[in-house]
Parts: sequence; C-alpha cells; structure tokens
Amino acid sequence: MTTRAEFISRIREQVQKTPGRFSAASARRPQHPAAEADTIRRELAERWPETLEAFRREFEGVAGVFHRVATIDMVPAVVSRIAHEREARELVTWHSAALGADLAPALGARGLDVHPMPESEPGGVAERERLRAIAARADLGLTGVDLAIAETGTLVLVSGAGRPRSTSLLPPCHIAVFDRTVLVESLRQVGVLLEAWHGDGRPPAAGAAINFITGPSRTADIELTLTRGVHGPKEVHAIFVEQPIRG
Amino acid sequence: MSDAELATPFRQRADGAMKDAFLQEALTIATTKFIGLRRDAFAGFPEGEALRDQARAIKEATLQHLDHHLETLIGNVERLGGHVHYAATPAEARSIIVDIARRTGARMAVKSKSMATEEIHLNEALEAAGITPVETDLGEYIIQLAHERPSHIIAPAIHKTKGQVAELFSRELKRPAEPDPEALTRIARGELREKFLQADLGITGANFAVADTGTVVLVTNEGNGRMVTSLPRVHVAVMGVEKVVPSFTDLMVFLAILAKSATGQKLSVYTSMVQGPRRAGELEGPDEFHLVLLDGGRIAQIGGPLREALSCLRCGACLNVCPVYRQIGGHAYGYTYPGPIGILLTAMLEGAPAVKDLAHASSLCGACVEACPVRIDIPRMLIDLRREVDDKKIAPWTERVAFKLLARLLQHPRLYRFAAKAGRIMQKPFASDGRIGRLPLFFGEWTRTRDLPPVASRTFQERWASEKDLQA
Repeated sequence: MTTRAEFISRIREQVQKTPGRFSAASARRPQHPAAEADTIRRELAERWPETLEAFRREFEGVAGVFHRVATIDMVPAVVSRIAHEREARELVTWHSAALGADLAPALGARGLDVHPMPESEPGGVAERERLRAIAARADLGLTGVDLAIAETGTLVLVSGAGRPRSTSLLPPCHIAVFDRTVLVESLRQVGVLLEAWHGDGRPPAAGAAINFITGPSRTADIELTLTRGVHGPKEVHAIFVEQPIRG
Repeated sequence: MSDAELATPFRQRADGAMKDAFLQEALTIATTKFIGLRRDAFAGFPEGEALRDQARAIKEATLQHLDHHLETLIGNVERLGGHVHYAATPAEARSIIVDIARRTGARMAVKSKSMATEEIHLNEALEAAGITPVETDLGEYIIQLAHERPSHIIAPAIHKTKGQVAELFSRELKRPAEPDPEALTRIARGELREKFLQADLGITGANFAVADTGTVVLVTNEGNGRMVTSLPRVHVAVMGVEKVVPSFTDLMVFLAILAKSATGQKLSVYTSMVQGPRRAGELEGPDEFHLVLLDGGRIAQIGGPLREALSCLRCGACLNVCPVYRQIGGHAYGYTYPGPIGILLTAMLEGAPAVKDLAHASSLCGACVEACPVRIDIPRMLIDLRREVDDKKIAPWTERVAFKLLARLLQHPRLYRFAAKAGRIMQKPFASDGRIGRLPLFFGEWTRTRDLPPVASRTFQERWASEKDLQA
C-alpha cells in the first residue's frame, strides 16, 4: 500500500520541475471574511426588493414555484393549499428552532399529519431509522433556507441538529420558507459567506453537509427528454415571508 | 466496452459506429443540442470569458503547489473525522475500497456517477468480492443493466433509444415498461429508492475538493449524489489528485462556468458539499467517511507533456463540438474517457501506446479549445502525442517511412518540383473525375476513407510565371 509520505513526495518531485508556462493565480480571498460578509449583508439590506425579484425570475426559470406572504403566520395556509391540490397529508418539517417559528400546530389544525424532526440527535439507531422512514414516506418536506442566490435561483441549506438533509430530499414535494435576510445576489458573494462560515464568522448550523438546490431534481438521460423528480423532489416551492421570520 | 471489443482495431470500431444509423442520429441531435445550450448560457453571461481565464489560472496555481494543497486537504479531512487513502494505481484503489466494504460488512453499494470509478473498473472488483454495486445516475443505471460502458461523459446512455430502454427494463426488472421517458424514469426512481435506503455503502467521485475546509463537492442534477452521501452508513469518495482547489472563493469561479459548459444550466440542480462524517446532532450522514486520492498516471504529468490536461473539469463540452466524436460517439474510442480530452486522458492513464490510433482521431480544428471552459490546448498535445507515437516507433514502419520521405520532399524545393512532375505522370492510372479514389499498396490506407485531389496539371508556380509574362 502506498503511504501518505510516498504519495506526497512523488507529487513534490513533480511539482519541483513544474514548467510554469501558463499564468497562474488563485482567487483573491477575503482577508476578513466575516467583516466582508457583514458589509455585503448591509448593502443587500437596502436593495432586497430588486434581489428578490431577480431570485424569483431565476427560480421560476428552473421550474421552482414562488409564493409570497406578509408574515410567517400565513405560511401554513399556503402549505395546506399545496397539500390539498396534491391530495397529500404527511409532512415532515425541520424543527421549529431551525425554521424560526413553530408551524406544527397550525399545520395540524389544517388536517396535515405533521412530523417535526427532533431538535437534538435522536438516541439510538432504531430511532434514527424510524425518523428516516417517516421522511421516506412523507408527501411534503418543509425546510428553512440559509441562502437564496438571485444569480442562479438557488436555495442553500446547511444540515445540522433539527434540520435533516432528508427533509429537502426524500419527499416528492419540497417547500422552503425564507425571508430577506438570506437573499444574496451572486455566487461571488456566496464565496465570501462560505469563507466567513468557515473562518472568523458563524455558520448557520453545525452539520457536515451544505446543499445548493437549484430547482427540482431532473434528468435528460433518456433521449434527452427533460424529466423531473428522478431521485429528489419533483416540485420545489419557495415561500417568501415579507416580515423577517426571526423578527 | 469489453476487453474483446477493445481488441478490435479503432478503425473497425469507428466503422461500426458510422454504420449505426440510430447512433448517428442520436449523436447529431444530442451534440447539437448541447452546443446550443452552452452557447446560450454564455451569451447571457458576459463575465464568463474572464471567469474562464481565471479558472484556468487557479488550476495552474494549484498544480504549482499541489503537494501543499493536498496536505492541507488531507489534514482537514482527518480533522473532521474522515480517513484518507492513497492509491498509486487503479488496482490499489480497488483493493482499498473493497477492503473498506468488507471491513464494514457492506453487501450493497450505491454509486453516483463518477468517471474515476469507471476508470478504475471498480464495479467488477466489488462484484468479485460479493458486493453488489448499483449505479444510481439514470443513464449509468441503464448502461449497467445493459452491461455496457458510458458513451458520453455527462450523458452516458446517449446511444440508447427509449424503446431499447423499455425493453431493457422489462427484461432485467421483470416488469412491464412503456417506451416513454417519463414512465421509465418513474420506474427507475422506485427501483433505486429502495436501494438508497438499503445500501450500506455509498460511493462517489468528486467534482472538486476544497483544501482549506476538507470539503468534497459533488455536482448532480438528479439528486443521487445527495442520496449516496446522506443515507448509507459509509461514504467513500474517489478523487483524482488534480481535483483539489484551495478555497471556497476558488470553487465559486468553477461552479459559475461548469454547468454552463456541460448542459447550459446556470448551476446544476444539486451542488452537494460534504465535510466528513455525520456530526453530533445530525439525523443523517455516514458514520464513516473515506477519501481515496488517485494517481493512476496523473502525478507523472504534473511536470510532463500532458500537464494541461490536468485542468480538465469533465464537462464534456469538447466532445459535443468535435467533428470526430460527432461521427463515431464515445464507445469507438474504446476507453473510459472519450472525445478529444479523452485521448489525452487515455494517454495519461494508459500510456502513449494506447493512443497510437486515437492520437490521429482528430482533425486538429481547434473547436475543442474554444469550447473548453479552461481553454486546454488539446490539439497541441495531440500533435505532441503523434510525434511521440512516431518517435517510439509505435506506428507501423511503412507509415513512418512515408512521412519521413514526405518531410524530405517538403524541405527540398528541387526534389519537390521533381516529385510534382513525377506525380502528375504516375497518378494517371488512378485519377478519374478529378479525384483519386484508390491508391495501390499501403498508400491505399490514405484513400480508404477519403479521396485525394489529383496533382494539378500545372503547379501554382508555373501558372504564376506564365500569368506574369502575360501581364508584362
């Protein structure tokens, strides 16, 4: 078996005879990412309506369904309408602490079977299996959003306690709730925020997965015919809440 | 492609492809569509050109300090609780992965699309060890059921009709299947959903790895990459050493151009970034995370003639625009990586002799350089490979002698003029209707698939001289 030392020394030998025929430069990284991230957020706070409009356009361009409500209290009505139209009942949701609001009672009152995911790590393999089975049979998955990228119509979700990866993946219909505080304009800005999360700033959650979701799951592998919902959700809804969710 | 198929010469494989009417139509439709999608994506993205230059500069800068960036990556993956393995050869990579599967008691492995695992022929090794590998990308799933190999980097089953897929599903899955892409996709979703939930082991490649955070990045449209990295209790990622980028800032530059080059999307549907095993508080994610770093011929090219090819993002854009790929498709190339970049990667991984014919399967038109998101000069390296194949006497002696004679002729004007005159006389028995359709002896190789224009009855110089006289 090749050891790390052997492997790296082979590379080092080669690197030392690098011809350097081409221009070379890594991207210039933010020196103080958290401070730059704050600046970006401050600037964006002033022009969020334009950013939101750009996001809506791109999100709809990738077959996302956009909704807009005034306050978080109005979200359950939108969710239950989506459920009714699909004759769906079972819903898994991120924990209220991760969503920023407890919508379970209102959703339950509207006739949905609501399964909130636990706030902390479930004890034991059996309990984890049980929760996964619920996500696997649910019709709807309700999540928050950590970034909404206008340039590409992308939702960024960070995994962690109370915010399982499967909520946005296993149910055929994913519904994401967001507000102006997560809107960003460009992939470049996302780069700064990611640097901040991993540097001198604070990440939205402590899980091991960051997922960029740009519309519903799709494939064109059979005769290039575009088909949605091959493994992930067939539908992705984004509900924009005008009044910031966490006040 | 099986080894038996590889034993047939490239020319026969290409001939077969060109006589396959469906393949010809499928290739034209698919490649034309991809070209249009890519063009439109960049047309609406003025900063794209500068980002392409920047992406290339980042790849170069990373290669110049690859040892350092890999050490950073390794340190971070281990800090996050992952394990890193070092594979000098495909055989070593296979045995590392089979050992992990055995140790963890895995019986079934779900895989997301990965050219690196195709390259190391992992599925055969898993099967031999009693572990069932299941390809979960729809295209890969289809060709796995059909016991074939991918024919395009991003559209592996480009060569199959929906009718053929329906027949395949009916036969292999023992359930009725209509020749309708939507219905077939639904069947695959159901079949594979079971596997995702059952499998013990998830195997992926890596589109990128971010060194300073220990992040493995997977780009998919179907969501299988997310399934494979979230549901099984062990995740193994196999990655060529050249896939590392220093930071998230660098990564964003690549994400901005990769999907546009491949499918014309602004981003692929899912960009999944995974950082080691499941953390405290998480419901899903693997208990174990393994990263297998693969050499397989790459390291020797850091300072070698194929260095530029180490910048390849595997987007497939050069395949779509290549006049040769558009005619013969991926299988005729005979190795894991088809198309213009595939010839270079094959030379890198298998050695120059493997491409003695393939090095000539290019018109050197340069369309690939234009399409490549990081502007790899593929034709330059193909010419170098042709020279190498020639220098190492891998080409047949007749060909080498013929080209030596031609070189001599072109360097000596007097000899050239004499040869032109001689040619005019000697071509007489072979020229008809203003073309030479067939030459004798080994010269026949040249006219086997194309006509040769006859030597003109008067050379340009002769005409120039006489016209000048007239003017005067």
